[in-house]
Amino acid sequence: MDGYLGVLYHIFIKDERYMLIVNGLLFTLNVTFLAALIGIILGVILSLMTISDFKPFKNVKSDRLSYLRDFNPLTKLALIYITVIRGTPTVVQLFILFNLVFTGVLETSVFVIAVIGFGLNSAAYVAEIIRAGIQGLDKGQMEAARALGMSYGLSMRVIIIPQAVKKIMPALVSEFIVLFKETSVVGMIGGNDLTKAVREIAANSFRAAEPWILAALIYLLLTTLFTYFMRKVEKRLKESD
Amino acid sequence: MIKITNLHKYFGELHVLKGIDLEVKQGDVIAIIGPSGSGKSTMLHCINRLEEPSKGHIFIDNEDIMNPACDINTVRQKVGMVFQHFNLFPHKNVLENIILAPTLVKKISKEESCNTAYELLAKVGLSDKASSYPNKLSGGQKQRIAIARALAMKPEVILFDEPTSALDPEMIKEVLDVMKDLAKEGMTMLIVTHEMGFARNVANRLIFMDNGLIVEDTEPNTFFNAPKSDRAKEFLDKVLNK
Repeated sequence: MDGYLGVLYHIFIKDERYMLIVNGLLFTLNVTFLAALIGIILGVILSLMTISDFKPFKNVKSDRLSYLRDFNPLTKLALIYITVIRGTPTVVQLFILFNLVFTGVLETSVFVIAVIGFGLNSAAYVAEIIRAGIQGLDKGQMEAARALGMSYGLSMRVIIIPQAVKKIMPALVSEFIVLFKETSVVGMIGGNDLTKAVREIAANSFRAAEPWILAALIYLLLTTLFTYFMRKVEKRLKESD
Repeated sequence: MIKITNLHKYFGELHVLKGIDLEVKQGDVIAIIGPSGSGKSTMLHCINRLEEPSKGHIFIDNEDIMNPACDINTVRQKVGMVFQHFNLFPHKNVLENIILAPTLVKKISKEESCNTAYELLAKVGLSDKASSYPNKLSGGQKQRIAIARALAMKPEVILFDEPTSALDPEMIKEVLDVMKDLAKEGMTMLIVTHEMGFARNVANRLIFMDNGLIVEDTEPNTFFNAPKSDRAKEFLDKVLNK
């Protein structure tokens, strides 16, 4: 084979180099979905901590300790977590996890470290999205529900959360897209994701432009797909308003 | 049926209610008026503890709702509330808005709740709106649905927090008419309002509040014709444009 097709063959097909891309993409998608799962679960817990009304010291009598009355340890803890995660780069977090926590303590695969690292990272952003969604609702909704005799839990479940979910869906999907793209740094701790695969292909085939353009196209195609699904879901949710 | 003694409320340093004493009898229709910031709404919100009172006692059917052992959710089933901004649930249609609390809180069957709901919709003149969503209703319609929603819990008393203040002028009457009917049927009502005509013609008692205290508690006609306090005279001069 000759001409430009021959070049493409040399870059992508020879030595089964396309398998690097397939496996890299699978790695990327698996990390993204599992990390998103952790992010959602932990994010919900964190957001509930930030809006909780848990004040264990509210009956403190002493005036010297009066500041303790409004002290909410759950909220404080969640806010510290969110501040640290959002205030440091993801790559740095991955390296810390990789070098300090996991290698030191126990032997773990890069895949697991990536899932946990990105999951912990995403949770902080998800928590902020959910908190904003719930607190952005009209305060009158909770009041009306409570005034009808509903408990706090029931009001949250039937009135607040269904409305909040609708509001935060778009933001959650864009957080998912950010997460998907951000996994491209995982190669720095040795993860064989799509980006890493393309870098290898470029090195082995001595051609850089084509592999990187293909990488961009694959990322773009997938993010466009996610956005498309989000728009569909959003439209469905709007109709029931 | 409601007895409030020495009720105080602070918002931080701000002393909003400075010792309210009030007794409400079955069938009372009480209009609560006064300048803004006088604590009218806050007092109303304290009665079902949507606002936590700082000090004092509130008895509803002889049960002290300030007692930590009191189950406020049960008390709230007896005390309906209608809000200035309606607060209908936007993700539920009109029928669902009305039957939600009866089915989930009082565990009344869906069928029975629906029957009650349709009766109430007829009563507020909105039978054709059962399956509409709140965003398709006018302000007056929303408030009438909110009243129906409160009535569906079969409360002993309803608290109205400026029910017509957020309405366009031409919609005020339709809401007041519904409230007038309720008053005629003997419903106990506490109404924070700026509708002086309504206070005068429908209420059997009038409470004038100023600066966190009840200044006058009297018959509406007495109040409008011969207010005792200077503060009330001043207020009436302003609102009646004399």
